[in-house]
Amino acid sequence: MTLSVSAPSGDAQGMTIVARTQGQLVRRRFFQHKAAMAGLTVLLAIVVLAFTSVGFGPFDGWWKYNWTQTGTVVNGGQPTLTLWPFSLGEHPFGQDNVGKDYFALVMRGAQQSLLVAFLVGIVATTVGTLVGSLSGYFRKWTEAVLMRWTDVMITIPVLLIAAIVGRMAGGSGIIVLGLALGLVIWPQLGRLVRGEVLSLREREFVEAARAIGTRPRRIIFKHILPNTLGIIIVSATLTIANAILLESALSFLGVGVQPPDISLGQLISFYQGAMLTRPWLFWWPGVFIIAIALSINFIGDGLRDAFDPRQNRVRA
Amino acid sequence: MSEILNSHDGVVEDTHVAVRLEDVRPPSDEEILRVENLTVEFPTDDGIVHAVRGVSYTLHEREVLGIVGESGSGKSVSSMAVMGLLPRNARIHGKILYRGDDILKMSPRRQRDLRGKKIAMVFQDPMTALNPVYTVGDQLAEAVLAHELMPRKDALARAKEMLDLVGIPQAEARLRAYPHEFSGGMRQRAMIAMAVINNPDVIIADEPTTALDVTVQAQILEKLIEVKDAVNAAIVLITHDLGVIAGMAHKVLVMYAGKPVEVTDTDSIFYRPRMPYTAGLLGSMPALETTGHRLRPIKGAPPSLINLPPGCPFSPRCPLADEVCVTREPELMLTDGLEHRAACHHWEKMASVEDPTVFFRAESEIKG
Amino acid sequence: MIAFIARRLGISVFVLLAATIIIYVMTALSGDPLADLRQEQGPDREEKMRVRSERMNLDVPIPVRYLQWLGGLLSGDLGVNREGQSVAIILGNALSATLQLVVAATVMAMLIGITVGIISALRQYSGFDYTVTFMAFIAFSLPLFWLAVMLKQYIAIEFNTWLRDPVIDPPVIVVVSLISGLTWGALTVGTQKARLTSFAIGAAVAAVFLTFLSATRWFADPGLGTVVIGLLAFGTAVGVTALFAGLQYRGPLYAALAAAGVGTALSAVMPGLLVDPTWLELFGLLLLTVAVCVGLGYALGGLQRRQAVTASVLTGVVTAGLIFMDALLNAFSAYSRRMRGRPIATIGSNTPNFRGDFWQLTLDSATHLLLPTMALILISLATYTRYSRASMLEVMNQDYVRTARAKGLPERTVIVKHAFRNGMIPITTLIAFDFAGVIGGAVVTESVFGWKGMGNMFLEGLRTVDPAPVMAFFIVTGGAIVICNMLADILYAYLDPRIRLS
Repeated sequence: MTLSVSAPSGDAQGMTIVARTQGQLVRRRFFQHKAAMAGLTVLLAIVVLAFTSVGFGPFDGWWKYNWTQTGTVVNGGQPTLTLWPFSLGEHPFGQDNVGKDYFALVMRGAQQSLLVAFLVGIVATTVGTLVGSLSGYFRKWTEAVLMRWTDVMITIPVLLIAAIVGRMAGGSGIIVLGLALGLVIWPQLGRLVRGEVLSLREREFVEAARAIGTRPRRIIFKHILPNTLGIIIVSATLTIANAILLESALSFLGVGVQPPDISLGQLISFYQGAMLTRPWLFWWPGVFIIAIALSINFIGDGLRDAFDPRQNRVRA
Repeated sequence: MSEILNSHDGVVEDTHVAVRLEDVRPPSDEEILRVENLTVEFPTDDGIVHAVRGVSYTLHEREVLGIVGESGSGKSVSSMAVMGLLPRNARIHGKILYRGDDILKMSPRRQRDLRGKKIAMVFQDPMTALNPVYTVGDQLAEAVLAHELMPRKDALARAKEMLDLVGIPQAEARLRAYPHEFSGGMRQRAMIAMAVINNPDVIIADEPTTALDVTVQAQILEKLIEVKDAVNAAIVLITHDLGVIAGMAHKVLVMYAGKPVEVTDTDSIFYRPRMPYTAGLLGSMPALETTGHRLRPIKGAPPSLINLPPGCPFSPRCPLADEVCVTREPELMLTDGLEHRAACHHWEKMASVEDPTVFFRAESEIKG
Repeated sequence: MIAFIARRLGISVFVLLAATIIIYVMTALSGDPLADLRQEQGPDREEKMRVRSERMNLDVPIPVRYLQWLGGLLSGDLGVNREGQSVAIILGNALSATLQLVVAATVMAMLIGITVGIISALRQYSGFDYTVTFMAFIAFSLPLFWLAVMLKQYIAIEFNTWLRDPVIDPPVIVVVSLISGLTWGALTVGTQKARLTSFAIGAAVAAVFLTFLSATRWFADPGLGTVVIGLLAFGTAVGVTALFAGLQYRGPLYAALAAAGVGTALSAVMPGLLVDPTWLELFGLLLLTVAVCVGLGYALGGLQRRQAVTASVLTGVVTAGLIFMDALLNAFSAYSRRMRGRPIATIGSNTPNFRGDFWQLTLDSATHLLLPTMALILISLATYTRYSRASMLEVMNQDYVRTARAKGLPERTVIVKHAFRNGMIPITTLIAFDFAGVIGGAVVTESVFGWKGMGNMFLEGLRTVDPAPVMAFFIVTGGAIVICNMLADILYAYLDPRIRLS
């Protein structure tokens, strides 16, 4: 997964190819990746829907109900959404047993799940990149610390440590939960970045920079990190997809997002018992988790192909 | 065991005198391999790559044919076509006759029977061409067992014999060694042993020395000639380096942009080139005798094989190019020498001067 | 080798020790262990709090508590939970069920995932490849708990209901046959005609097969019988020989066919002999099978002795497996009656107070394991598929694969011998990582299916801020991960001679 100076391959047959910059090539390949474009569209649609419908923070949403108000249960709380002819109806996703509008609940859950996942992604990526590049470049004690820490973390199943962290932080709100989860799942990314930096620091252009007396900080930020950008972006994307699933699993187990906050996993957990009487209470949050995770995974795949096209080419 | 192996790692001393082509039996008139108008195309996202655009040659018993060209000239692709090793999406046309039978028309099964048995191959990079997880002995024995049912013990004995032949000392112990325990030169010797283990008629050597240390290159080439004589095989020697050909090939075929542009005997290539590209290659070659000259690279790059210009593909880089050259592609035609063919509208101009590399020199000196 | 293992174990002990500090301290800090009692109204509130504080040593600082726990661990004492129950006893009950689940899921995921990944790589850009890739993405995006609940609610309940009258509806037969046809068609390379032929054969075979199962109400009283075992055994013999030795020479084929013949003949008498065996006896029989097959391969293999032994041993083991399956399936209808016609279990890891012979007990475990395993496989199946596909694609482009082809080896040998082993090298590093993920998944799965397993012990401990059960969970799973890691390292060194264990 080295990206640095790789020109488009294919010269084996003597083809000459129009010169494009690395960035242009990556953008072009990404925007031509159909699955990634579909994923991006769906994700944006979900984000917009979740954040505008029931409002966020000081902003009011356009949906008539919010996630706290109870009401009378109409028609057993059946969803009123019909696709053909399309109509939302009164309660498109139905109602729960105390008459809360399930669309509002799911939208609120999606908001908070997305927030947690992105927070986890940002924290894990930042810490992982910093520690990974420092330990990869300086070796010595930073590396020793990271490697021992990673060794320790590998023996602990992610779910175990995340559950403990979730138990500690879940009650303090989703922001704290997101930050805390990010702080326990960064080692994987850190290891990846470290491996990449290790191979880059032996490359000629880094040695050249060192030879002319460039300071380490400049070498890391100007010469090495830009070349690991691809791998970082791809792993950050996949980390977010995994974080959605991790958060929902923790909330399902009761050690993630705690009331009054709402998350998609928590909704499933909460209404699991209603599976036989009101199956839609179980379906909708699940569908949203899958849609979010799938579209982020597709985006990640598109990014990977865009940054590293070698995997997809047939070598003649 | 590893200590014994390591102590002999590196250059293996050959005690005998260097073997040259003139020291071994000359070619006979028997035709082993005949390639007729071979073309290979690859469909890609950017268009069709015309990798080989009509190659013809014949190879006689014990003959060494050198194929020279830059990377991308189609020299490797054409020999991979002979081996039947091109990827499935390749479109191959023309004829490849092995002793009169067209390989391209054979069943996959019959092709496989020829491959490694009658036509064997030595690859460019010995560091990656051997499977790292099996012993050298296993990989050699496997080549025998692929074509002949015999006890494994006998196949290993044959493998040992071959390692002796290519000059690997302590062959018995080396059979049990893994490729990573061999030096580059030794691995290439093992590859040669693997190629000749079934007494093939044809050995295709694809840049056999390119990946090796300069000090080992000559040894490997000589070993190739020596081994060829031992098993009575013909060789197709593919290289980008004219220097490798000197004294090692009977005939030379120079390729450019997927086509042969000059075909003749080895001496004529060096002393009487009739295609400016060949002259350019000669001019860019270091030589011991000539001093005071700078090496003169051919300017420019080979053309795209997707959208070839209408005229001579070398014309953009050629000092002799004129109107004709950019409009009409020259055919391979007979020139002044016996059986000396070149694809150039201006071969007579080349013939008119003592040293044809002068055209490249003139240009480089004018332009500074 | 032994020195390597010893050194690795030594390092692992320190790593585990460091991990226990982290987990203990974090668990102890994760909440207030007396929270529930503080809420309580009643005269004995103070007394209860005093008892629990004393039992959990709450009046000493956390590091001291940790050291006390560690001291206990070193003398083989896992401590008590906050209700005073011995953690060792809870663990003893929970351990085997969870290990069964985790190991079954890992092994199945590896076998299926690697096979599918390799086929997908060999058929790159085929319909099959695209479908597998898409399914893998779905699997990467499915929440495990959601799938588990779905399996429990729909598959188990619907399947049990259907078993009362196991007739397959014609539309189901049509759909399954079409899928089967499409799979075969997508796997075939070549002309349109060849693909259509494969499609037709695949669909027709599936249709006939399902109709037959439906008409004979096979699912009500399943079993294989000598004829089916024979057909499958001889089919396996030919398939395995074709894969590992080729059908060019007769020796290996005869050896494998002989193994299949012996197995089929025995299948007629074995059920009578295996009325109520033990696992140890069955293991002994398996060893015997292998020994006999090695003998057959050796005697009949001729010059291809090695391949013949491989082919006959594999055939023998598969046939033995078929005989085992047959015996198990024969016990199914009786078991089903005892379960009042609802054999696929949705709760727990076995039926409480269930007694019966070996087959009944094995079936009871199997029916309880079925759904959780299906759900848990999902965690790693897609990972193994994607990794082995990528790895095989990489390897198939290597120079040594070209060399193998240039020797004139058949494509079968090129793949099975040269590409496969190299392709598996990077997979070994995945095993340990993946195993940790499966353990996490097991916690979720157990929670959905109401197992009183280790996951339950962990979650209960965490909810009640009780470090002892949490630590017991970690000691077992962390230890398992360490062992798994080491197995992966040994496998790596075995596959790649460039790595030396020293």
